[in-house]
Parts: sequence; structure tokens; C-alpha cells
Amino acid sequence: MKKLLLTAALICTIFSSFAQEGGYFFGGFESNAQWLLDDDGINFVAPEDNLRANNYFQLNYSLGKFTAGIQYEAYLPDALLGYSPVYENGNGIGTYYLNYKADKLDVTGGYFYEQFGSGLALRSWEDRQLGINNSIRGARVKYAINEYSDFTALYGQQRIGFEVSEATIQGLDANVDLSTAFGIEAVDLRFGASYVNRYQNQGTQTFLPSNVSIAGARLDFVAGSVYGGLEVDTKSKDALFFEGELVSEKLYDGTAMQVNLGYAQKGLGINGTFRRLENFNFYADRQAAGNQFNDQVVNYIPALSKTQDYLLTNLYVYNAQPGLVIEQAEQRAGEVGAQVDVFYTIKKGSTLGGKYGTKIAANFSYWGGLDAEYNVENRFYEAKFIGSGSRFYRDFNFEIKKKWTPKFSSVGTYQNVYIDKAISQGGFVGTQGEIQAQIAVIEGTYKLKNSQSIRGVVQHLWTEQDRENWMAAVVEYNFSSRFSMYVYDNWNYRELGYDGEESQIHYYSVGGSYTEGRTRLSMNYGRQRGGLICVGGVCRVVPESNGLSASLNISF
Amino acid sequence: MKKILFTLALVVSFAGISQEKLPAVSLETIDGDSTTIQNAAEKSDITIVSLWATWCVPCIKELDAISDVYSDWQEETGVSLIAVSVDDSRTVKRVKPLINGKGWDYEILLDTNNDLKRALGAATVPLTVLIKDNKIVYRHSGYSPGAEDELYEYVKKYSKK
Repeated sequence: MKKLLLTAALICTIFSSFAQEGGYFFGGFESNAQWLLDDDGINFVAPEDNLRANNYFQLNYSLGKFTAGIQYEAYLPDALLGYSPVYENGNGIGTYYLNYKADKLDVTGGYFYEQFGSGLALRSWEDRQLGINNSIRGARVKYAINEYSDFTALYGQQRIGFEVSEATIQGLDANVDLSTAFGIEAVDLRFGASYVNRYQNQGTQTFLPSNVSIAGARLDFVAGSVYGGLEVDTKSKDALFFEGELVSEKLYDGTAMQVNLGYAQKGLGINGTFRRLENFNFYADRQAAGNQFNDQVVNYIPALSKTQDYLLTNLYVYNAQPGLVIEQAEQRAGEVGAQVDVFYTIKKGSTLGGKYGTKIAANFSYWGGLDAEYNVENRFYEAKFIGSGSRFYRDFNFEIKKKWTPKFSSVGTYQNVYIDKAISQGGFVGTQGEIQAQIAVIEGTYKLKNSQSIRGVVQHLWTEQDRENWMAAVVEYNFSSRFSMYVYDNWNYRELGYDGEESQIHYYSVGGSYTEGRTRLSMNYGRQRGGLICVGGVCRVVPESNGLSASLNISF
Repeated sequence: MKKILFTLALVVSFAGISQEKLPAVSLETIDGDSTTIQNAAEKSDITIVSLWATWCVPCIKELDAISDVYSDWQEETGVSLIAVSVDDSRTVKRVKPLINGKGWDYEILLDTNNDLKRALGAATVPLTVLIKDNKIVYRHSGYSPGAEDELYEYVKKYSKK
């Protein structure tokens, strides 16, 4: 212990002297821990390692044009339930980097995060809640050629747990601001192009392609209140794997197309996105295709639907289906669909707007499989551009926010959703039927004195499929802007007389959080409803569990 | 256990010496131009930077609440607010219609691959920081109704200096 403190003090002194010469430190510490407990009510038996924690310590030092950083990670005694096995019991240096950043030139060696365009070709990022860190270890150069064009070049191997991929990734991305380059004033026009290649050894299977690449181009415009964009990408031929097994010696290429169009003026905003994906998975290892932990993903294929925030609207969430499957049990070639968002404010002072104005938001999304014909024996398929493929997901939701008095405001939400059961719960897509549900949510917030406030939410979900009806309620009390506590319950009460009282399950939770400047501590106790946890449209499966969780976050 | 203790000791020691300098990170404007948080914050004497996202309910509540009183704040203290969206490419297309639909008057910047979020060590949004002379003088994460009044107390305190 003494040694420990001494070392820490020493390091501290050394770093302090650094800090005084114009450089500065920044970083943070995050610990997410859980203590799992047996629970008969949900048939949960705590694993032997019932105390688990994911810990991250990140330290960066910046001096002039240089910044260096290191991230230490410890999944001890074990990683949180439902995280990828690559983190199991692991601890060590997760990432490190050295960056030089000048006006035009930006060079990074070590691990880096990068995104080309919308990420359809490449995105490396970190999401600790999802257990994703697919940063690339290698070198990256960004260069601004002039005021209207720049490019990025990178080379490296992708991080997998505490190792890196066997395959190497090479990427090039270029952007040109056409309006500036050609002096166009009426329209703001931007062009971008990306190329990403994966080199992976064939081994003994010589029919496998060692190079697989995605090439793409995009064009974005803004003309007054109207804006939009188009992106197209193609993926060269790659072998097809299903659950880690090679399907056949045939090779398949893939395509992606995304179109976006929007209109925005004060008080009104509309945005629509269309996307079509055909066999567009891209992993650092061909064999990793479709793994449920999102390990080794190279490109970013989020579900394009509304991100839901309430307990019950989070029950049936969509997960994008870009992959190709030609099996007896399941056939699909990708997805096609669209979503539209509308935001509108009814003016203050009007009948419906009242004293403070009324804010309305609506979202519609539809995603379906590609209309395709499959020959399972020959592993052959042919897909139409748009047709009548089977429905994966359809969601309509409407939200209205109103402030009634300086102290009281409310939100009302209605959602009507269809989802393929296998997309929601796993299994073979298109074979288990659909779930159709309606959800209503009413939320009210009342402000008291001295930054104190109370928030209440009641919700109901109606469905005749799956686990039938749910009710939920949340009460949250904010003692100050720093300290708050909540209690909630999701009650899967089903229809009366269906399964009797014993099948009525409560998923309750009670917790609180304390924030002070750069420190945040939160704790909760309760039952975790199993299912998909999604962040930014990428999902992770979490098993049902019961226990105590704590999370500490310090940034400096 | 030793490793954890060591890490904790490190954290504590660093918390003592860290400087509240603004990290030099590139961000994008809503029109796609490249800028930095320093450039954006230079325009006024005191600046609120709020990290938010279109999917984050408390973030939107905070920005809605400030929006109601923003013109008064600007008049009284000259403060300006930069709302940095951490939406990734899944939801970034919703930023523009949302801010317009809401009628917010803030300067909007985009942190699509979360470089600023990482540099500020923000595990969650909203994160609200107050910037004066290129330094962070106050930071608060999370939002509960009424927190904007507290924030404004700090704005007034620092705008006088």
C-alpha cells in the first residue's frame, strides 16, 4: 500500500512538472460494476462470478501540437453480464496514441477512431455501454489540401478485446467543397469519396478473396431551407459465412444506397431518409460476420428508426438487417426502407400554442427484407431493387410537449409498432410471426423551489402476442440539480385468466445519482429486463438478471 | 485489487493537477465546415457549451428550458450558447429539422464521432460547461428542472469578472 501511494505521488510530481510547462492533462476514470443476485421470480441464477466490473482509466497529455494518450481497461473480476467474451477477465492497456495536429496536417500513430462519411464504409468508435471498441491500431494521416478539400489515409489492424485483428484495414477518404471550389453561391454542394480495403490471408482455402473492399461516393447539398444527400457504396465479392461456418465456395458482392432529404425553417423541420442494403456486412474477419457482440465490425449500419427513451417503448426495438442468409431455415438478402421525422412548434399565443408554445414531433419508419428469389441448394439469390419483401419493422410515433405554467410541463407519446419476432428476440427472421403493439406514455414534471422537482411517468403497452400487456410507472425526485432518486416498475401483467397470477412479473428498480462537477456516481438495485439494449441504433443482447449496480465516473 | 487501488490513487492525484483547458478538437458546423470549439467560444466573453443529442430527453428539456429565457440571458450578460450535438450518423440528420422545429437560437456544432465528448471525458449527455478565456470554469452533467437557474447564477458570476 505504501509503495503504491509512493509511486502514485512520484508519478504525480513528474506529471505536475510537465503540466507547468504549458502542457496539460485530461482524461477520466469510469467504473461500472454489478453484483448479481439469485432471483426465483425471473428464474435467474447468479453466475459464480457474481461481482463484475468494467473499469476504464484514460489519460491524455497535450503539449503544443502534440497529444498523447493511453487507456487502461480492467474487466475484473469479470466483465459485466452480456459483454463479448473477448473482454472476459481481461485487463491491460486497451489503446494508446500519439497525435500531431497542425493547421493542415493531422497525424496519429497508435489506436485511433475514424469515420468516413456516414460510416457505411468505415467507422471505428468506442461505446462502453455496448462493449464496442473497434479502434484501429496503425497510422492515420489527415491533410487539408486547401480551403475546400481534404483527405484522410489510414492503415492498421482492428482492435479485438486486448488483441488486434489478423487482417489489415486500409482506407482513403476525400472531401471536396464544390461550392467554394467553383464559386457556386446558390447551393452549398459537397462531394466525398471513400475506399476501404481489408487484406486477410486465404490460408489453405484458395478460393477465398484476400482483398475485400468497399468503395463509395456521396454528394450533399443545402439550398436555402432544403437540404439533402445521396450516398452509394459497393462491396467487392466476399465469401459467405453463417454463424461462423462457411456456407459455400460461392462469393457474393454487396451494395448500399442512402438518400436523405430535409426541409428546415424556424418552427418546422422535416427529414426523410431512404436506405437500401444488400449483403452489406463488413467485418475485420470474414468469419466474424453476424456475431451478436458486434466484434470486429468495420462499417456502421445503425437501425434507422426513432431512438426510444421510455421503458415500454424500448421493448420492441429494431436492429438493422444488412446481412445475406441463404439457408433452408432462413433466407434474406438485406433490408430496404425509410423513415420520416417531423418537428413542429405551434406558436406562442395561438389557441393551441398557449402561453409557451406547443412542441410536436412525429416519426414514421418502415423496414422490410429485399424482394428476392432464393435457390438454397445452389446458394443462389437474385434481389429486386424495391419490391414487396417481407416486413421487418414498422413504427409510427407521435409526441406532444407542452409547458402549462412556469412550473408544470407534460409530454404525451403514442407509438404503434410492428416487429418481426425473430428480430426482437432472436431466431430465424420471417419464420416466427410478428408482434404488433401500441404504447401510450404520459409524463409530467413539476418544478418546486430551489432546483427541486418531481417527475412522474405512466405507460401502457397493449399487445396480443409475445408476453401480452405491460404497465409501467416511474417516479423521480430531484432533490437538487446534483442529487436525484427514482423508482420504477415494469409490470408484465398479461390478460386476466391467461396464465394465472404466477406469471405476473414485475421488473422493478430503485436508484439514484449524485453529480458534483467532474464526478458522477449512480447506483441502482432491481431487475434487468432481458432483451436488446441499443445505443445509437446498434444493439447488444442483455440477459435477464437481478442485482445491484453502481457506476462511477470522474473526468479531469 | 491492487491494480484497482493503484488506478484510484492515480485518478485522485490527477484530479488535483488537471487544468481546465479546452481540448483542441475539430468539430463540424451544421453546414459541414470544419471548426474548433476554441474558435466558436471566442466570439463572446462567456460561453455555455452544451453537449446534447437528438435522442437524449433531458438534453432537449434543458435546451428547451434555456430557450425560453435565452434572450433575457443574452441581454443581461452577453452569454452565448453553443449546442454541440454528439449524434452519430444514425441520428445526425435529425439535428437540423429538430433545432428548427424547436425554434432554438443556439449556434449548433456537430461532434459526429464523439471526439469532443471523449476529450471532455463525458460518459453521458447532457454535459454543460461554462467557458471563459478558453478555460472551463464550471461543469455539470445531467439535467433536472431548475438546473438552468443554477447555471445562470454561474454565468452572472463570471460575466462580471
